[in-house]
Amino acid sequence: MAEKPQPVRVLYCAVCTLPAEYCEFGPDFEKCKPWLIQNAPDLYPDLTKESSTKDVDKVTEQLQSTGIASTASSAPKEEAVKRLPGGKMKKKEKAEVVIEKVVRNKRKCITTVKGLDLFGVKLSDASKKLGKKFATGASVVKGPTEKEQIDVQGDISYDIVDFITETWRDVPETAIFFIEDGKKVPAA
Amino acid sequence: MFKKFSSEDVSAQNQVKASVQRRIRQSIADEYPGLEPVLDDLLPKKAPLIVAKCQNHLNLVLVNNVPLFFNIRDGPYMPTLRLLHQYPNIMKKLQVDRGAIKFVLAGANVMCPGLTSPGGALDNEVEAETPVAIMAEGKQHALAIGFTKMSAKDIKTINKGIGVDNMHYLNDGLWKMERLD
Repeated sequence: MAEKPQPVRVLYCAVCTLPAEYCEFGPDFEKCKPWLIQNAPDLYPDLTKESSTKDVDKVTEQLQSTGIASTASSAPKEEAVKRLPGGKMKKKEKAEVVIEKVVRNKRKCITTVKGLDLFGVKLSDASKKLGKKFATGASVVKGPTEKEQIDVQGDISYDIVDFITETWRDVPETAIFFIEDGKKVPAA
Repeated sequence: MFKKFSSEDVSAQNQVKASVQRRIRQSIADEYPGLEPVLDDLLPKKAPLIVAKCQNHLNLVLVNNVPLFFNIRDGPYMPTLRLLHQYPNIMKKLQVDRGAIKFVLAGANVMCPGLTSPGGALDNEVEAETPVAIMAEGKQHALAIGFTKMSAKDIKTINKGIGVDNMHYLNDGLWKMERLD
């Protein structure tokens, strides 16, 4: 057998996942800069020159902030609207729980709970708890748009709010919404 | 093609039977003779080979949940960029000039002038309808995988319009999907 060609190891940027040399064409070159200065200084000689003259400290600081707490106060304006590759803007998803009652064959209904996962709640556990509490079937279902939601049989919208706020303390009552006649109504 | 692509677009994935597995291996080996020495490592005979069917008649070949190849309908198998980066010499290469990089990375097809200008380079042996790696002026690694619409000669003589269809480029949906579970 012929000798195996060794796989080339490509340096991928930790921030934008592109190969380091393409960072400048990536979605957010500014954010990659600190990482590049540390990990691939030879690719962008201009950058290192820039930084070495004045703000090495600032760069490392920036690196930490992007690595650990990118959602923190470092750049709140930029975080809120994330740029999509097509130049379209995308609003950051708000964490909220949406409860909707869907009627099926007239007197039976299903209550769907969306968005619990945004609060770090495990959906499979949650559905089990809901099913136990209300003595009905409850299951995790894939929603229309890649979101997972919990379907609970029966109309439980009357006391699901209390149950959610009690079981998961992280979920504030203000973040819970009902959908009534196609309109979002806060539960609180 | 992969501009919008996520695990949601995978409609079914199943482990293929041995005969299909053999056929896939064979067609990949035919297409990329340069890969042959490492093919056993890439597609181990023992490990289950999974084919994920996606929308638009797209198939992904997965090994250990990592997408390695894709094809459309019964078209040729093409490696993903991560794989191509590891073994850059398996495909014929076309080089675009610097000005084109931005557009290719936004998913645009490669136009002839971007290949014929001073920054671009063409491999004269490239025929129409073959998968190629798209390199960029001044860069080491491939930035996209394309499917030629014209032969290299035509690209040079006509020098107008789409030369290479952009199949898969850096930071598209498939690139972001490092693993598929």
